[in-house]
Amino acid sequence: MIKEYSGIAPKGDILLIQKLCEKLEGKSFLHVNSTREGGGVAEILHRMIPLLQDLGINAKWEVINGDAKFYDFTKKTHNALQGNEEIFTKSMWDHHYEVNKANMKKLSLGADAVLIHDPQPAPLINFRSASSKKRNKVWIWRCHIDVANPASNVWTNMKKYVKNYDAAIFSVAKFCKSLPIDEFIVTPSIDPLSDKNIELSEQEINAVAEKYSIPRDKHILLQVSRFDKFKDPIGVINAYKIVKKYNDCRLILAGSPATDDPEGEAILNEVKNYAGNDPDIIIMLLPPDCHRDINAIQRMSDVILQKSIKEGFGLTVSEAMWKEKPVIGGAVGGIPLQIVHGVTGFVVHSVEGAAFRIRQYLNNPEMARRMGQRGKEYVRNNFLLTRQIRDYLSLWYSLKNKGKNVIEL
Amino acid sequence: MGKRIEPFNFKQCVSIVKSTGKHAKNLRELRKRISQVSDESIYHHVYQYFLKGHILEYTNDFAHWAGEHLEESALSERLTSIDPYTGEYTDEKSLVKRLASTEPYTLDSVNKVRKELIREIDSFLQAFPEPHDVVKGNEFYFNETVSLVFPVGVKTRNLAEFLVAIEHIDAGSIYYHFYDSRVRLGEGMVDDFSRWIEHGLGKKKLADRIRGIDPFMHSIESIRTHIREIVEKYVRADMEGVAD
Repeated sequence: MIKEYSGIAPKGDILLIQKLCEKLEGKSFLHVNSTREGGGVAEILHRMIPLLQDLGINAKWEVINGDAKFYDFTKKTHNALQGNEEIFTKSMWDHHYEVNKANMKKLSLGADAVLIHDPQPAPLINFRSASSKKRNKVWIWRCHIDVANPASNVWTNMKKYVKNYDAAIFSVAKFCKSLPIDEFIVTPSIDPLSDKNIELSEQEINAVAEKYSIPRDKHILLQVSRFDKFKDPIGVINAYKIVKKYNDCRLILAGSPATDDPEGEAILNEVKNYAGNDPDIIIMLLPPDCHRDINAIQRMSDVILQKSIKEGFGLTVSEAMWKEKPVIGGAVGGIPLQIVHGVTGFVVHSVEGAAFRIRQYLNNPEMARRMGQRGKEYVRNNFLLTRQIRDYLSLWYSLKNKGKNVIEL
Repeated sequence: MGKRIEPFNFKQCVSIVKSTGKHAKNLRELRKRISQVSDESIYHHVYQYFLKGHILEYTNDFAHWAGEHLEESALSERLTSIDPYTGEYTDEKSLVKRLASTEPYTLDSVNKVRKELIREIDSFLQAFPEPHDVVKGNEFYFNETVSLVFPVGVKTRNLAEFLVAIEHIDAGSIYYHFYDSRVRLGEGMVDDFSRWIEHGLGKKKLADRIRGIDPFMHSIESIRTHIREIVEKYVRADMEGVAD
């Protein structure tokens, strides 16, 4: 399977994955999260587990189960870790612990390396066997959430579990916490072979344009994101309106409704009203699993925006860059890590800034092309799935060689 | 029989980033942290900046932060001018001694860089003693790395093979042999390529030309281009019987 990435991912990443798998051959690597389907973590695990198995690692994936009360609590925890104030009671935290305890009895947690994803299964560390600690086995907690500014108390409660791990992984340096354990930084990634990102034929792109009645007679500006105020869809429309005075173009806002956000419906209606009767603004509500269609819509676009005003990592930027598209992103979350301003795209701070950069791209196709090419190379070197797998294995191997800053393989 | 030529064994270095848990929100805090953090952290923020592969107006993370987040252009320029790769080529005796050492890296030069960073910040703070805080979220986060070094399975025995390899190896391999070698082998040391060309192939003049490429002034891709052009020119001249 790793060979499928040959010619796509950097040679060094593939080679290092192979070398580390030789060193770790036959060892078990268990991942635990709370859902088998939906969400970025499950998506990556579906691809990563068979790939590691193919390379001789005994990779396993377990999913914890809980009742409605559990999921309601973990949703609140997720929001609170991202900064929203939520009300928690001791009985909620107790239930979180008890659900994990019940899962522990059903799951097989014995492995040479255990990677626990996100807060839902974090208490499992308390059920780690004493022998696991002694026998050079490692337990790592992987946080995929923006925890830079958590609401009060939620982190204090989470920390009680996290500090018991051997190491923690965060996506961005500023998400790291003051912990008595090793903290690594591993940025998320996109899979170049998934439906979202795989190369498509011109024929398929045309078919998608026809399917959704997207005319291709004008430049297309695109933002793909759920209808959420933090993605600033109104700001994108305002930027489009400024550009439209100078350059004829069409704006597509494509995304799925934010079903878990009570404000989602209201935002969508606000966006629709704001767009009014402009025939050149296309608002597309797509089911969350039509990745190939989104891929085609990205590929038919001329400029791709992610003008967020608050963002976790914002991997849609890397997805656009992988398709060699000139990108414009808000200066928030992980977006500036993906867009090297003026090199792989533009980072903006205002509607006017976004409009100016769109106009620059539309008036300088050669510059747009160059930025797009550099963007793809940047993603190739930094944000592909192979890099994330490489990092997980390197991290595991480094924990087995603790104290060394340079490890010769 | 002539002396057997040791092939050049291309290696690569991949680093995983670790947080030190320390950060700074203004220049005074930055100065304090720079004086406290590990050599590995300074090494990461200054030397490994070149691994990012894009040289804009900055040459290290501190200058980048001063320019982009503190918005102190003069300080940023001064920090950008700190060249961690300056140093005279050390004599062969020191090199042999260094190569025999079991320590994987010598970070002597890192402390010089640390002092230089502090000197520039102190001088700036003397003129502007009340530094302002950056916007929340834009603090400087001190990291360090764990590096894994591995052979990439490419060995070259002559310049023709070397030319093919230099064209196709990952940027990470060029970084390891052209930049990282200077730290790995100690202050004043040179890149691995020119060492092999001089001591393995016996071509001192060609080695000197490669040493003439200033690592501080180029991105990795432009280093690749320069090396390729210099070696290509030499090979062509060699074929025509006019090489040095």
